[in-house]
Amino acid sequence: MLFEISGLSKRFGELAALTDVSFEVRAGEVLGLIGPNGAGKTTLFECLAGVLPSDSGVVRAGGREVPGGERSQLLFYMPDTITPWGSQSVRWALDYTVGFFGGKAELRSGVVAELDLERLLDRPIGALSKGQRKRALLAVGLLTSPPALLIDEPFDGLDLRQTRDVAAALRRHASRGRTLFLSIHQIADAARMCDRFVLLSNGRIRGEGTVQELAAHAASRNPAGAFTNLEEVFLALT
Amino acid sequence: MRSHSRAFLWLLDKERRELVASRSWWVLLLALGPLVGISFISAVRTYAEVSGLGGTAGGVGEAMAPLIGVWAPTFSACELAAVFLLPFVAIRLVGGDRQSGALKLELQQGMPAAGLVAAKAIVLLIGWLIAMLPPFLAMALWKSYGGTLYPPELASVIAGHVINAGLTIALGAAMAAVAEHPSTAAILTLGVTVGTWILNFFAAIQGGWWERAAEYTPTAVVSEFQHGLVRLDVVLIAGLLVVAGLGYSAIWMRLGVATRRRALESVGLAAAIAVAILACTFVRGSWDLSEARANSFPEGDERALSRIHGLRMEVHLAPEDPRRVELENRALAKLRRLMPDLRVDYKSATSIGIFEQANAGYGEIWYFLNGKKEMSRTTTAEGVLEAIYAVSGVSPPKDEDVEFRGHPLSAQPRGAALVFFGIWPGLVLLAAFVTRRGRL
Repeated sequence: MLFEISGLSKRFGELAALTDVSFEVRAGEVLGLIGPNGAGKTTLFECLAGVLPSDSGVVRAGGREVPGGERSQLLFYMPDTITPWGSQSVRWALDYTVGFFGGKAELRSGVVAELDLERLLDRPIGALSKGQRKRALLAVGLLTSPPALLIDEPFDGLDLRQTRDVAAALRRHASRGRTLFLSIHQIADAARMCDRFVLLSNGRIRGEGTVQELAAHAASRNPAGAFTNLEEVFLALT
Repeated sequence: MRSHSRAFLWLLDKERRELVASRSWWVLLLALGPLVGISFISAVRTYAEVSGLGGTAGGVGEAMAPLIGVWAPTFSACELAAVFLLPFVAIRLVGGDRQSGALKLELQQGMPAAGLVAAKAIVLLIGWLIAMLPPFLAMALWKSYGGTLYPPELASVIAGHVINAGLTIALGAAMAAVAEHPSTAAILTLGVTVGTWILNFFAAIQGGWWERAAEYTPTAVVSEFQHGLVRLDVVLIAGLLVVAGLGYSAIWMRLGVATRRRALESVGLAAAIAVAILACTFVRGSWDLSEARANSFPEGDERALSRIHGLRMEVHLAPEDPRRVELENRALAKLRRLMPDLRVDYKSATSIGIFEQANAGYGEIWYFLNGKKEMSRTTTAEGVLEAIYAVSGVSPPKDEDVEFRGHPLSAQPRGAALVFFGIWPGLVLLAAFVTRRGRL
């Protein structure tokens, strides 16, 4: 186990965005965070990364609590729908990732090739299309050095071919030992990509495990149902 | 373990790039040329007119000093830019990261928020120094006309505008970090600036503590430095206000810290800064860097006055009475620098004094020293000195000081229009085009 989350809660006034969220993230796995819109996926990622304060809950790694200020040693979070350093080129952003974030310079050329960024290197990030920007920011995330990478909607804005290429690239990084925690609202994409899943709905954990484990959990709640794939499990548990 | 110093260099480079990419900075650069040009050309012409009238006679010398005649008005363009343009540059650089999402990434680097703010402040200050190049061009032109430059007083003027810029940057940074949106930050920043103007206005009417507080507003700070007066308490308090502004920015930039905790930290910082500011108001020490010794009595008088201790004055003048303003500017400001223990009590029933004129005693200035007292109605420096010598029994010095005779110059501002309205804007536009194309 790389780290575990225990009792994480977050409220926005009257709205309970997260309630007593607890689960674990295993080293080297691709963990999918799935849930309907408004389930609290982004809030969960932001609380984990320490860029949004949680009301309660802890993150533990190696039996020790990891406070918000120290999470940068453990994980890096790449948000969705951001356009950082919009006037700077993709090339500079990758250099900056290596220089400022202490990223892995040795991965740079490989990541550029995997995400088909060669032709975009001299384009300003702000001038990229949504899909191009997503790939550029995925490259930034993949170059960072913390053992876990949290990506909010890694396939959002990508076409089918790009989705497959990006999924393959993420898989390759996971196979080298990088732990990936991906928030994905497309169940089919999540099913293809992830080893295990955390199901989140209305800010609460509805299940955690492999498709088989989640199917068994769904079956225990509804013995009459047939749960052969993740979509059916998702609908049954959320 | 990541090297924070290496990361900080990367951060500086990033902030430099963001500054160069911001239109607001280029607008600041572009605007300062014509602004300085108008002020400089107008000042040189006026200076020439006064010089042509033979302004070298004793007593007119101060008016003929380039510090007051040329540099104060020329540099006043920087004050205008610092109030109305620089805040937008600062807000763009600080608030832009929050808007774009870059802040969420950069906070994960692990560098303290103070480091993030420091990088922005350093780059903004360098950006401001570059924007201050037009006044330096004015100095070169003035020299080419045959004018004299007195480096200490110029250093004072420049320092005043750098401090003013520091205050503006700190304020803009604080507001950009506190407010969700840059437009809100801009409104808040201008609101605080207008607040300091109201404070100055109130000080002129009410006097007392308002007057004391108004000594530290950016307008007052710039004004003193423009007259060649450098006060240690003003420098320290301005420094504390800059630290406070940047501190608030660092506190509120930490998105991952609960709002309540950030609010408590803000209150703590405010309390600490307030105590430090209060302590600094008791700090004495000042330097008159003006060539004309515009903020000092003649040296012989200063030697004589340094032997007098325990002087108390009772001034029966209302805050808005012009005589009180003259007394403050012409005499008391100089006297306080020499006599830290000087006590001045103002007595008035109204703020403007119009209806007190008929009252017996209104307009009187009483001097008390060692049980003796003296009354005078004179508000000039010479009159005040005369009264002090009378009450103290100290003999006035013989008039042996060499009086500053001024530097009259009857020259026209040749080439200034071309430099400030043509060459400077052209160079700025060219540089903007080249750098933005090259993404330097």
